Amino acid sequence: MKTDWSQASDAALVVAIGRWREDALAEAYRRHGGAVYGLARRVVRETGVAEEVVQEVFVRLWSTPDRFDPDRGSLRSWLLAQAHGRAIDRVRADSSRRLREEQDARRTATSGYDVELEAWDLAVADRVNEVMADLPAPEREAIELAYLDGYTYREVATLLDTPEGTIKSRIRAGLRRMRSDLIDAKTGRPWHQS
Amino acid sequence: MASELTHADIQELLGAYALDAVDADEVAVIDAHLVDCPRCRNEVAEHREAATLLSFSGAAAPEALWSRIAADIGEADPAPFELARVVPHRARRVQLRLTAAAAAAAVVIIGLLGFQVVRQNDRIDQLAAITDQRGLDQAAAAAAVQPDARRVRLQSDDGAQVVDAVVLPDGQGYLVQTRLPTLGSDQTYQLWGVIGAQTISLGVLGGDQATTAFKAAGPLTSLAITAERVGGAVAPTSDPIVKGRIEST
Repeated sequence: MKTDWSQASDAALVVAIGRWREDALAEAYRRHGGAVYGLARRVVRETGVAEEVVQEVFVRLWSTPDRFDPDRGSLRSWLLAQAHGRAIDRVRADSSRRLREEQDARRTATSGYDVELEAWDLAVADRVNEVMADLPAPEREAIELAYLDGYTYREVATLLDTPEGTIKSRIRAGLRRMRSDLIDAKTGRPWHQS
Repeated sequence: MASELTHADIQELLGAYALDAVDADEVAVIDAHLVDCPRCRNEVAEHREAATLLSFSGAAAPEALWSRIAADIGEADPAPFELARVVPHRARRVQLRLTAAAAAAAVVIIGLLGFQVVRQNDRIDQLAAITDQRGLDQAAAAAAVQPDARRVRLQSDDGAQVVDAVVLPDGQGYLVQTRLPTLGSDQTYQLWGVIGAQTISLGVLGGDQATTAFKAAGPLTSLAITAERVGGAVAPTSDPIVKGRIEST
């Protein structure tokens, strides 16, 4: 039986994956595999290791689709969180060495968030740009160092020579700001004015 | 030290926790706390959704990697994987992102029923057949934040009755924030869509409706809700209780 999954919802895909439909898993991979791979590669910075991470995540979706918890967001968010945790496990092993390297590197350059290269498409890029532009630089820096570079908040505090409590607060406040900005950017106008 | 964390300490850590940026001993304490604290669980989920913004990647999923996954899950003959179908077409993207939220809805159902992973087709059939209001609410909320979503306010002539709707470019839509009075038991609300010169039923809503999904087969220009006899009508038999025009984007 040949099914065209391209128009199916993620919900339908998850149900089909529960019925051992490999073509449904292929469609889930086609939709989300690029983002999962992109995140893994960004964090581990090695193609081969990133591929291992992606493989583990999708094999896990295949074997235990019920581990995807409905109360914790979308399928994409779940896949990304899975991949992120696995990627972090791999980079933490040598984090003390990375910490020194990063401290050296930061004396000469600061990293920027190049959304043009990373965004899915223009529509998304615009929204991500808006959200990231509204984020105060210290919050953005702390979030990027933690999420994309894989440092713990304590390591981020060391890197930035800033108290740990401040880094915790910046990360939390920044994520909240991103979320509320994202919602505002999309639904800010009252219905009757749209 | 981590075992002595107060609730406030844990809350302060939730952002870092969501980014996998806390130490192992803190992870253990927070994991244990989350089991019993829905508010903190919810906050972590929100942080993770926000973090997905940082993960948007223009790179396509590597095709060779799919072959390895397919081999790993034990299929001798992997399903054809057509990268060519990944067209950077805006309307299509919108649809794909909507459906991600719908997937969450499906799994709400799985969670509610508390199923163990027993791979039986009849189990899955049951899951697929059940609808769930929480899932619909999530799907509708996700639709409302799509960039191409059109928001429509349906109103009565005097403005006293108001229903809000969201319509996506592919015709998928949701009625949300409905505040219509409960009808008598012999009546039902019915939703109508105007597509071109035709008025088409988009669904019988019942007498006391909550968030409802609908799907239009063509470009909608208006939505309206009438009260009909139970069972619905093939064409509206009365003036709309509320109606609204859909502005083109």
